[in-house]
Amino acid sequence: MDYGSNYGGGGYTSYGAGGGAGAGGFSTHYGGSQGGSQASPGGSASRGSRSASTLRPVTIKQVLEATQPHPEAEFKIDDVELTQLTLVAQIRGVSEQATNHTYKMDDGTGTLEVKQWVEATAVLDGPSEKLRPNQYVRVLGTLKAFGGKRHLGAHHIRPITDFNEIHYHFLEATAIHLHLTKGPPEGLGQVTGGVGHQVHGQGQGRDVAMGGMSVAAGGGGGARYYPPNVSSHSRRILDIVRSKPQHTDGTHVNTIVQMCGLSLPDVEKAIYELADAGIAYTTIDDSHIMLLDNQS
Amino acid sequence: MSEQTPRINAPLLQQFIGRTIRLVGKVTDIHGDKATLDSSGVIVALTDRDSNLKLGNTMEVVAKVNPDLSIKVLTSTDFGNNLGRCFSLPPLGLCEWRRKGLMWGGWG
Repeated sequence: MDYGSNYGGGGYTSYGAGGGAGAGGFSTHYGGSQGGSQASPGGSASRGSRSASTLRPVTIKQVLEATQPHPEAEFKIDDVELTQLTLVAQIRGVSEQATNHTYKMDDGTGTLEVKQWVEATAVLDGPSEKLRPNQYVRVLGTLKAFGGKRHLGAHHIRPITDFNEIHYHFLEATAIHLHLTKGPPEGLGQVTGGVGHQVHGQGQGRDVAMGGMSVAAGGGGGARYYPPNVSSHSRRILDIVRSKPQHTDGTHVNTIVQMCGLSLPDVEKAIYELADAGIAYTTIDDSHIMLLDNQS
Repeated sequence: MSEQTPRINAPLLQQFIGRTIRLVGKVTDIHGDKATLDSSGVIVALTDRDSNLKLGNTMEVVAKVNPDLSIKVLTSTDFGNNLGRCFSLPPLGLCEWRRKGLMWGGWG
């Protein structure tokens, strides 16, 4: 419970407050005002809709291995687009230039350059604000690629004072990774409605924003079973198909595309996955699918 | 690929001979440039003047594993003496995921 109050759901709001002075803060993103306050290059203008904006805990290895379908495209980890990232790492090198500070960061899983732009108007910080090599820090930022090299554009960097946060972060990154690749914990998948989510509190809360799932199907009641090892896309499709009465011919792929806001290839991939898991099948042709558990 | 320092503890040392690792342990004894760390098992750490280990504190060290399973400390970070129990668990309980390559990959 101790950790809960320090780092849990509440922790995210406190980041907003802390980062507010320097970097436009996260509260503005969630608050719904236009991202105009963020003047950093490649900022919110190029991002997708703000509602998709999430803050995802990652390791440096995940960042280095993030995939990019084509240059200029959004980076993806576990097939989920990245917006804001947070990581915990140790500073290995500091290079201070007039316009930006570049840190070489190492979290044990890899090393990554983190750049923070210096604001000319920024209030001079006390000596305590200066970051030194070997210090552990929490970084919030977005992944950028420049000249084939990846770096993290940091909005906010703060030193870590409670070292439990390091392990907390790794556990959180693992939990999110597993959630996105293998689905929610099996026991929880079968719990009906909101209870499951409240029990799971902090972890799940963020995922809901990430996948946009679960909540959509809240009214469905009844069968909320997700097979283990299905991706977030598949779960989203399950929710959507379950949320409306099914035609005897099944649901057309294009209808699913429209309803869930995913691209056609993503939907096809997910359906393939569901068919593979034995819970979806095609009906009159390959474009109509039906769920096995939806025989209402 | 940039360098990695897998987080391990005493029982896993055997698998990491000759590699650079990262581990968290409690300093139980210091004798000159030799210190004893407890990280789910006893580890002999060879330090240098700058290592600055403090008796009784929990330290994180980045070190190289010698063939005799002692470690040569490269850098160390003092985590103080006020840590939760998760530090004494087998490395974060993450070994399982590491072995499967989810986070570290390529070894073990």
